[in-house]
Amino acid sequence: MIDADAGRAEALARRLSETAFAAVEVLRAPDAAYLGETVERLKPDLVIVDMDLPDRDTLEGIRVVSDKHPIVMFAGGDDPAFAEEAIAAGVCSYNLSGVALQDVRPILSAAVALFRRHRRVESELAEAKARLDERRLIERAKAILMQGRRMTEPEAYRWLQKRAMDENRKLAQVVADVIAQHESLEKGERPGRNTP
Amino acid sequence: MSRVISLATARKSAPPKMRIGLLRLTDGAPVIAADEFGFFAEEGVETELCVEPSWANIADKLCYGLLDAAVIVPPLAFNIHLGVRGAAQHLVIPYGVSAAGNSVTLSNALADDVRHRSRQSGVTPAVALRSVLKDHFVTFGVVHAYSTHNLLLRYWLETAGIKVGRDVQLAVVPPARAVEVLATGQIAGFCAGAPWGEVARRAGVGVPIAGSNDIWQNAPEKAFAVRARWAEEWPQQLCGAIRAILRGAKFCDAPENAEYTSALLSRRKYVDVEPHAILADLPGAAGSGRGCVFYRGATTFPWRSQGLWWLNEMRRWDLIDPTLDLRGLVADVYRPDIYRAAVMPIGESVPAADFKVEGSHRYNWVLDGSLSPIEMLPDRFCDGALFDPDAVESRLPPTPGVVVSTP
Repeated sequence: MIDADAGRAEALARRLSETAFAAVEVLRAPDAAYLGETVERLKPDLVIVDMDLPDRDTLEGIRVVSDKHPIVMFAGGDDPAFAEEAIAAGVCSYNLSGVALQDVRPILSAAVALFRRHRRVESELAEAKARLDERRLIERAKAILMQGRRMTEPEAYRWLQKRAMDENRKLAQVVADVIAQHESLEKGERPGRNTP
Repeated sequence: MSRVISLATARKSAPPKMRIGLLRLTDGAPVIAADEFGFFAEEGVETELCVEPSWANIADKLCYGLLDAAVIVPPLAFNIHLGVRGAAQHLVIPYGVSAAGNSVTLSNALADDVRHRSRQSGVTPAVALRSVLKDHFVTFGVVHAYSTHNLLLRYWLETAGIKVGRDVQLAVVPPARAVEVLATGQIAGFCAGAPWGEVARRAGVGVPIAGSNDIWQNAPEKAFAVRARWAEEWPQQLCGAIRAILRGAKFCDAPENAEYTSALLSRRKYVDVEPHAILADLPGAAGSGRGCVFYRGATTFPWRSQGLWWLNEMRRWDLIDPTLDLRGLVADVYRPDIYRAAVMPIGESVPAADFKVEGSHRYNWVLDGSLSPIEMLPDRFCDGALFDPDAVESRLPPTPGVVVSTP
């Protein structure tokens, strides 16, 4: 298993050992720099790789460069939908010893599910962070308006909303404008009326 | 409200976003510039650039339709088209992204030795390397088996009498890892695209001792490959994308824009290395002799003779089935007809022929163009060979070097 995310790799190893694959021995490549050597030494049946790492080229080159056949992703698997699913989730695998895809498919499915969940959690985190940032910025823009234009808080919010609607822009863009304009005025870059 | 609905309807019938894959390499510059400057948008082509960590990702995502196009090394495009790695995806190459730009970078110790012997006996670095390798067997890194780097390096080593397997071993090392692996001593050198040779030099880890130009002057490098089905479904969008990249190429090829281009590429989301390391291999870089070419010398034209050269070398090193019809294959994939349809309406002078003899020009030369003559660049091979596309055996199992006639 080649994964820069130790937590995710451990979770997958744990899940495999809990299921029908108790007999599966999970090895982790310790150091990306020695990846080729490690794989050639350990001769694993199946390699599961995080697609965000550049090391897949090395893996594929192990046999190609030594003039034998290339190792093929999802060898023997005649299921493009499954491959597409895995790639979209950011994980792929190579079966090196000629085991058929259907035999290792449950392992791969577990990996795909785990990677997909991981990715979702990551994007949810990013979204939550973006929402928080946006709320913070709205508060800031409201404060600027309340101070500069002597508006009440609801008035300031309505002003921002109306402007967004009138100009057919996102609220976040209007908010960013108000703040940017205020900041440039504060720095004294542009003389002018104190209006956003 | 009605406006919102009509927009949504319009979007549904609009052509899909073109997802373009590229790696952290300097030669993606024309596509990055076209995207950043809004050239694609002006042609009505919505794009998404996907910077991928490996060639394998590019190949798989093209294969399974998660990318529509890519800035790619031509041998890998043939590999995907043929399904050598597994699933096949038919591709077309209607545009050449860059020429030259690769370097052969050796560890400091090996480079010192080579340069010393080269100076002492007045021989080329390749010949000096052969005498150094007599004493010890080393490993060199290439970025992918189906890369221009593997084929160019093999060509270069062979012309100096260095045999892969006997004198040197090749291993695949992703370009972004090449510098660290060279530092650990697992490889003694590598052949990779810009900026990685310069990055190694700046890190004090290695020295570029030769470049594309020392192997094949202005050797074709990256190509723009598109899924054939996408190209068939959206011909207008494809032509628009080609014109947008051509505009990007003109910008990036102008030496006065080199600093701007390097600053753009150095961003975290693109190449993510310091701008000076990128600048060294951009057009106009003072005397490096390795610089990428993006526009000059009909670099953007998808020469079928160049596609055939790659295929012939792939056959030479047993990377493809020798019974394949190479000429038919290159006609399927390399599509100068699409290139002409895209750029002739905007007044670009294009070559009339699809093939040319490669390797016959030591100096700049002039080629007839559709509108005006085109100034071409030198294209000599390091061994002085001529590659005549008409002399290539289309199907038969080859004897290595049969096409390459050394004068």
